[in-house]
Amino acid sequence: MKRFLAWWTEERRAYLLLVLPGVLVYWAVMAFPTVFSLGLSLTNYNGGVIFGNPNIQFVGLKHYLRMFEDRYFWISLKNNGLIMAISVFGQIPLGFLFAYVIHRKLIKFGDFFQTIIYLPCVISTIVVGRLWQSFFSPYGPFTKFMQRFQPGWENELAYDPQRAIIPVLFVILWMYTGTYMIIFLANLQKIDPSLIEAARIDGATEWQVLTKIILPALSGVIVTACILAISGSLKSFDLVYAMTGGNPARRTSVLALYMYDTAFRHSPNYPLANSISVFMVLVSFALIVLVRVTEARFGGREE
Amino acid sequence: MLRKFTSILLAVLVAIGIFVPTVLAEEKITLTVLNYFDLTSPGAERELEEVWREFSRRNPNIIVEREDLFLDAFHQKVEAYAAADRLPDVVYMWPGGRSTSLHTLGLVKDLRPLLGDDAQYFIPAVLAPQAGGYLAELPQTMTSSHALYINVPLLESLGLSIPETYEELVAMVPVIKGAGLDVILMGAQDDWVIQSCLFSMIVGRLVGDEKLYEIIRGDAKFTDPEFVGALEFYAQMYKDGVLDRKIMNINYSEINGLFAAGRAPFMVDGDWKTANFLTDVTTGEALIPVDKQPDFKMTIFPAIPGEINKKSSSGVVGVGFGMNAKIPDGSAKEAAAWELIKWLQGPEVQKMRLETAGTIPSRIDVTSDKLEPLVLERIRYYEDIEVYTEVLDNALEGEVYLPLNVGLQEIGLGLATPMEVAERVQEALESWRAKK
Repeated sequence: MKRFLAWWTEERRAYLLLVLPGVLVYWAVMAFPTVFSLGLSLTNYNGGVIFGNPNIQFVGLKHYLRMFEDRYFWISLKNNGLIMAISVFGQIPLGFLFAYVIHRKLIKFGDFFQTIIYLPCVISTIVVGRLWQSFFSPYGPFTKFMQRFQPGWENELAYDPQRAIIPVLFVILWMYTGTYMIIFLANLQKIDPSLIEAARIDGATEWQVLTKIILPALSGVIVTACILAISGSLKSFDLVYAMTGGNPARRTSVLALYMYDTAFRHSPNYPLANSISVFMVLVSFALIVLVRVTEARFGGREE
Repeated sequence: MLRKFTSILLAVLVAIGIFVPTVLAEEKITLTVLNYFDLTSPGAERELEEVWREFSRRNPNIIVEREDLFLDAFHQKVEAYAAADRLPDVVYMWPGGRSTSLHTLGLVKDLRPLLGDDAQYFIPAVLAPQAGGYLAELPQTMTSSHALYINVPLLESLGLSIPETYEELVAMVPVIKGAGLDVILMGAQDDWVIQSCLFSMIVGRLVGDEKLYEIIRGDAKFTDPEFVGALEFYAQMYKDGVLDRKIMNINYSEINGLFAAGRAPFMVDGDWKTANFLTDVTTGEALIPVDKQPDFKMTIFPAIPGEINKKSSSGVVGVGFGMNAKIPDGSAKEAAAWELIKWLQGPEVQKMRLETAGTIPSRIDVTSDKLEPLVLERIRYYEDIEVYTEVLDNALEGEVYLPLNVGLQEIGLGLATPMEVAERVQEALESWRAKK
């Protein structure tokens, strides 16, 4: 008792008071559902009463095996991979490039371009999706535009199953590059300008300034951006849903949409949907760990 | 003497005055009703007044205790009532789908015997047996999930007329395409559209409901020649140029404007699509203005080679009210509940629903002079249909029709053969049956 009272100091009470609500909310809406979903994915639970339901049985990895056998799962996974690639290798370099060009004042009207590039981020995703869907439609402006140059041109882009994802990737690039540009721009502004000036006086070229000063200073931000891009691309749903609905023939589906279709459209298959969501969480974890390891190995030179 | 007589008379009158209302009050019947109702909808007040209050005025002896719920709250309450064995006397329900348990567990009565001679006032197809094998609810409407919409002046400007057979339609393809138009518009980006609005009709023509039920029961298979033949006919439509792959990249609502603007002489969709062309009461604007609406016709798909059902379309009956099976046969309560159900599908109520929501009446004796030409055309369209067949997503379970929905897109895109899709659907059916 004495030991407890010694431990139960005012400081500790204040600490608990401040931290506990946040922790509880986090557990209730994030950690608990994730763990619970993992548990449910190993059972045959498919709706109805959860607790005290005698029909719920442990079925092991059955649903995971079924998921791996489903070809729409692999199509969705591949599309997620493509979105991740365009996010990490498209949005981030492009975002950085725009930020760098604007920050170093290599062009005029920097503020104007900054606003224009960031603009898509403030429009509702559903609106953006619908807008681009009609733009790429066989009857849309894109088709009409191409037909100007090439009469009789058929817009196969959006319904050719192999290439149907390309418009989606383009829109993702268009839409989110601005976010990374803002992140990089904010961090570029933190770099002491006298450092760059000194380097320039010492005869460093623009390339040397970029590679020797700016990039090392931003390596932590780049890692953060990568984590944002990876987790963002894994959960991508709204844009694809609004733009293609995962079609034609589910060739533009992504994991989140595949899970949604499995859980909420037609007849619900909660065990399979749970397996998909657990898989998404695991992949997300694995990739973020990978980024962290890469950063620890090659990055961390911002000092 | 007179005074004595008067006081006795008075006493008797007082006694009557006290007892008769009590006796009459005892004859009053209370009905519990579970109603599916969106209180925020524009027509809500009119419905409350003209449907429910009017019923109470006309039937002072029937007290209706109504519970209004909407969307999931409604479905959860029905499930809870059914589980607790406390289903209300009169309940709003679907012919299948989300009300399946009410049908299959026999929680509601067969209304057919109560309907009697009044059946003559209804479209025969709406009185067909429902999910439980009997008439569990009296439908307020009928929906055809397939209709061929025709832009008549556009077709005639090409020197063509409405095709009677599929061959005639195929012969029109070069002419229509030569004019830079598309043949048939469909907004088939969502995968249910082809299945619901086109393929269900094809299955109805080439396979028929009998065979479909055999397949569902397990006495036949989706891989049998009939069903594969239906898929092959559908695949042929792309080869013949009647359908175009690009329909799979057209949003469901995008075709409204395209068809109204004369992008193609034909459009295939459900009969509900007409609502999109009508005048918007808030803006007074219409995709197809009232004076142009007579240019558009609705009919069924032309005759398909080898069809066993002629002039058929796929259709589902609408929602309606059912009666708790626990109400004793021949009781006063049954009479009261039937009075209410009959009223709810009576000519006055159906006319009101037709005017406020454009709901196509399930009765044949309902019309209104406040309708736009396209709504009248939609009602007339039902005269073209001689046979109604199942809509596949109504007849099959979700996990069975899902591979079909996707498979139909894959056939169109050349990613799967009809046989492959038939095999997948059969596999899904077998795994669903195994689970049951």
